[in-house]
Amino acid sequence: MSQFNGAAAAPGRRTDPFLLLAVPALCLLGMLFVLPIVFLLVKSFRDTTGNLSIATYVAFFSDPFMLTALRRTIVVAIETTLLTLLLGYPTAFALARARGFTQTIILIAMILPLSVGVIVKAFAWSIVFRTDGVINKTLLGLGIIDQPLRLLFTETALVIGATNIFLPFMVLPIYAVIRQTDPNLRSAAATLGAGPLFCFFRVTLPLTLPGIVAGAAFVFSMAVAMYVIPNLIIGERTQTLSMLIARSFLYLRNEQMGSTISTILLAIAAFIVIVSSVILKRLSGRQA
Amino acid sequence: MTKNGFSDLTRRSFLKSATATATLLAAPGILRAETKELVVGGAASHTKWVEEIVAPAFEKKYGARIIFEGTKSLVNLEKMQSNKAKPYLSVVQMDDPVMIMAVNENLLTPITPALAPNVAKLRQGTVHMDGMWANYVQPWAGIAYNKSVSGVDSWTKLWDPAFKGRVVIPSLQNTEGMWTLFMAAHLATGKPLAEAQYEIDAAFAKLEELKPNLLNVYAVLTQSFNLLEQNEIAMLAGQFSSYTIPRVTEGATIDLAAPKEGIFAMPSGICLVKDGPNPELAAAYVNEMLGAELQSILAESTYSLPANTEVKGVDIAPAGIEVFGPDWAFVSKNRANWIDRFDRMMAI
Repeated sequence: MSQFNGAAAAPGRRTDPFLLLAVPALCLLGMLFVLPIVFLLVKSFRDTTGNLSIATYVAFFSDPFMLTALRRTIVVAIETTLLTLLLGYPTAFALARARGFTQTIILIAMILPLSVGVIVKAFAWSIVFRTDGVINKTLLGLGIIDQPLRLLFTETALVIGATNIFLPFMVLPIYAVIRQTDPNLRSAAATLGAGPLFCFFRVTLPLTLPGIVAGAAFVFSMAVAMYVIPNLIIGERTQTLSMLIARSFLYLRNEQMGSTISTILLAIAAFIVIVSSVILKRLSGRQA
Repeated sequence: MTKNGFSDLTRRSFLKSATATATLLAAPGILRAETKELVVGGAASHTKWVEEIVAPAFEKKYGARIIFEGTKSLVNLEKMQSNKAKPYLSVVQMDDPVMIMAVNENLLTPITPALAPNVAKLRQGTVHMDGMWANYVQPWAGIAYNKSVSGVDSWTKLWDPAFKGRVVIPSLQNTEGMWTLFMAAHLATGKPLAEAQYEIDAAFAKLEELKPNLLNVYAVLTQSFNLLEQNEIAMLAGQFSSYTIPRVTEGATIDLAAPKEGIFAMPSGICLVKDGPNPELAAAYVNEMLGAELQSILAESTYSLPANTEVKGVDIAPAGIEVFGPDWAFVSKNRANWIDRFDRMMAI
């Protein structure tokens, strides 16, 4: 039995020394992430005099301005996740199927843009979305539209920009799962008479679901909390929750409301992560 | 039980790695301690001239390195407030209304002639609240426009229906956002700016009429400025000379208009952070910023009005146009409410 298995097979007798490797990261997360979140949670349930109160939650959920931002944040995150999945799923297959130089090129195309700053990408998109940008020129040239569309500072622009930035986070988990699946399973299904569509929906898709769930959790969590991208792409007239957090803390100096919105945003992200973990656990249990 | 060599090795390796990591992490701090550093906060738009003009001159004279953190005035205030117990900023360059908030929160140390002798040489009205802060140079603000637009001689041009969806104005989070608000008050009431600045309801009603022309409201200037240069938008309200005119001289197809109703003096202030690190160096930096030598260079390179009376021969402001400086105490008192009201009104 390997060292790994030996340690795992005798819980309680001694601490697995490998756990020590996680200590620095856990300390860092504890200090820089968990502790501030606890402070935020506490602050969100206090009023300006320090007494326990849910007044800011009531204020948030009874304010149409805040609810619009909440709806927009969730809708944009869902749309971004779906669009990245739509583009990322076939890309992950192409990546898994490709060999040698082609695979390297696709991998570089996926990973290299991660080294380009979000601000640079946002500026680039503002050029593409202009009235005389590539999109409008193409649509006008093809005769699809008579007048240039307004794309700058719209939710559509935000979803497209965010998809561009988060695409690798969808492709890579799906690619990792595809690499682990046995390609003979699809051949076996075909041999037994399954058509391409049946094979895809009954064999391929279920096998790659863990990758889809992981990628969707990554992209949704990042999209729901993004700040710089909406700030640059849609501006101040179209607020999202993260923009409202900055506005509350920095400009309105309303720490209670800032903490409340932060807690709500965290709850949304945590819900998605927990649900995806549960789904992943069930899927891996079913496939074991 | 058999001794587990692998886990022993892991433990030793872990300790070695931890020591090595700690040393690596501490090294930059040890190295930095050998060179004096002064952390200065300021506006993001100041970064270029601070790093190209001020920092090299200061470093040459005092042998100390300037680290400039460019952001918004309100973010600088937040940094000062959050680090009040142990400040890391020594000097901050920010706008007057935010300076008032910093004074109210006891975050500043007065600039006295003993600390910075040049403060005694500034023109009247540029030293505020017993020396809590001083203006060094003041850029003027008007309307930046693409040269494809002709005759931006009035602020009413922003409301011209011909420019539907082709105007951008600053958010009230940005100090320059106040200029459109005050000018809206003036246009709505017909009163002089000195009186109109208090007519905020009228100002908001007039701004409501501007919405069809607005492509966006910006909090980050650079992107909107690019759109102006690319002729995606026609006009960018409330822009200041220190940022716009250098782009004009570099050949961008834009210009800065000084409309007939008036232009505004940007309230560029400098202050000493209370209990900030390196207080002597900080005072020296402020003294240099208020000195005639540096101000004459800054006034010319940033197209701003110098505050030091010994600076001669710098003629920056457009002739015959009123340069208005608002009641910043009134702004400071009401700003949070105005931001909230403005954001809700402009929201899509």
